[in-house]
Amino acid sequence: MIDLTQLIEQANELAPLPASTVRLAGLIGNPDCHLDDVTELIVFDQALTLKLLRAANSAASASLVRVANVREAVTRMGTAQVLALAVAAGAKRFLQTRLPEYDLDEGVLWRHSVAAAVAAETMQACGSVESPPETFTAALLHDVGKLVMARFLSPEILGFIRRAREVDHLGQLETESLLLGANHAELGGLIAQHWNLPPRVVQGIIYHHNPGEGQDVICDLTYLANQLAKRIEAGLDGRYFDLSILPEVAQRLALTPKTLDNLCPIAAARYTQVSRRYNAV
Amino acid sequence: MNTADFDYVRNFIRDQSAIVLEPGKEYLVESRLQTLARKENLSSIDVLVSKLRSDSSNGLHRKVVDAMTTNETSFFRDIHPFEALRKFLLPELAARRAQQRQLNFWCGAASTGQEPFSVLMLIAEHFPDLLAWDIKFIATDLCGEALARARCGRFNQLEVNRGLPASLLVKYFVRQGADWEFREDLRQRVDFRELNLIKDWLCLPSPDIVFLRNVLIYFDVETKKSILAKIRRLLRPGGYLLLGGAETTFNVDDAFERAVFEKSTFYRLKQA
Repeated sequence: MIDLTQLIEQANELAPLPASTVRLAGLIGNPDCHLDDVTELIVFDQALTLKLLRAANSAASASLVRVANVREAVTRMGTAQVLALAVAAGAKRFLQTRLPEYDLDEGVLWRHSVAAAVAAETMQACGSVESPPETFTAALLHDVGKLVMARFLSPEILGFIRRAREVDHLGQLETESLLLGANHAELGGLIAQHWNLPPRVVQGIIYHHNPGEGQDVICDLTYLANQLAKRIEAGLDGRYFDLSILPEVAQRLALTPKTLDNLCPIAAARYTQVSRRYNAV
Repeated sequence: MNTADFDYVRNFIRDQSAIVLEPGKEYLVESRLQTLARKENLSSIDVLVSKLRSDSSNGLHRKVVDAMTTNETSFFRDIHPFEALRKFLLPELAARRAQQRQLNFWCGAASTGQEPFSVLMLIAEHFPDLLAWDIKFIATDLCGEALARARCGRFNQLEVNRGLPASLLVKYFVRQGADWEFREDLRQRVDFRELNLIKDWLCLPSPDIVFLRNVLIYFDVETKKSILAKIRRLLRPGGYLLLGGAETTFNVDDAFERAVFEKSTFYRLKQA
């Protein structure tokens, strides 16, 4: 077991997200959110404005017409993606970190996070499921807890984790809970709370491995985005092994095996394009 | 950890708590005892085990048992049993005991208190009249350290994030620094006691509902039989037993039958 007080303290010591991003998250989570309010909030933050315009004009927009102002950018990309890009701009430097404790080289966690956000967007774009506007952000940040958890994974603890997985065939999450008393998903939820992100983002992150316990569709969607991201990456480098999708999640989201099979190549094709937006922030 | 030390620890744990640690679980014993060794300022697990072997009066044995118990729990764990309580069991029991206005609950593996507090919140939310009844709520556990925390009713942010809806957090908890404290008026309704399930169960009132989730999985068949037999004798007529999702009375004690309420299964004694 590790010292949970220390773990919580370290999660709460991560540098905060910019105030405008936090306000944007609150605004977009509100069902009465109006495009003008979003635009007004963004234009007051010059750095965010520049990043969003750069993202909107990246190759992903697939348009010859340049986006000249924030309103056009928000209209073109949609508020949910604007929020995810704003959060990405704040979290990018953390997510690009190398985490050898999780066998993640520099940039790999970022790439996986972006792939999950793109997968979430694809599900929405294909009309497969109706997503809450916080979904892309939850997908983007689903593994953010690994950043802090990694600091507590001494070689000794990593040895115990490896043996637990070999002997009892436990998954990463169960092993962390059993041996450390907390897991990276819970810790990610804590970081999202520390960053004052909306409760649904927190829920999506906490339950991205066990969505049935989350009692909210965003948990199923974040889980699915993570699994689709692994499939996208498997196509890129064969890195992940567990690519299955829980039948109960497919059932709750009314997704047939055929729809799921179709989603993956579409998400993979979009990844190359849309990831440029995230890389541009 | 060498084989002799592992065997010594697992035999000792089995004698004290009936928890079965199969060969291969060395990683679990080492990871738990490593933490304890550090707390006790002992240089290694070897030193800890040798201290255990040499002196049984230093309190270390008790700490080792505590360290080896799994205290994993959460608020409204698995949610469905709580739905069943709300929709079916509590209305049924409340109707049956309306004349006496008296109900008894027993959580047999209460850990740090999330389960009894969840039941209390459910009662306060949906059956507030029951709070005026004579309700005996006993919550027991083998781990003294966990019970000490349960009595304080204090939880960190990670713990309240596990299963507790925000609306209930703000209604039933008070912020204390970085932690959250369960409301004292409700907390005091729970009588937390240390109890080893394989020893005598002294002074337990006959419960209407026994919560014993994810406990039997750690025991061998004979211990399971013995515990279920004791519950059978203790349970109030018409009472229910709740086990964990991976546990059953089937082929262990056939005096019980399943009582399915939507997505959750409780057990009750078969009618004679």
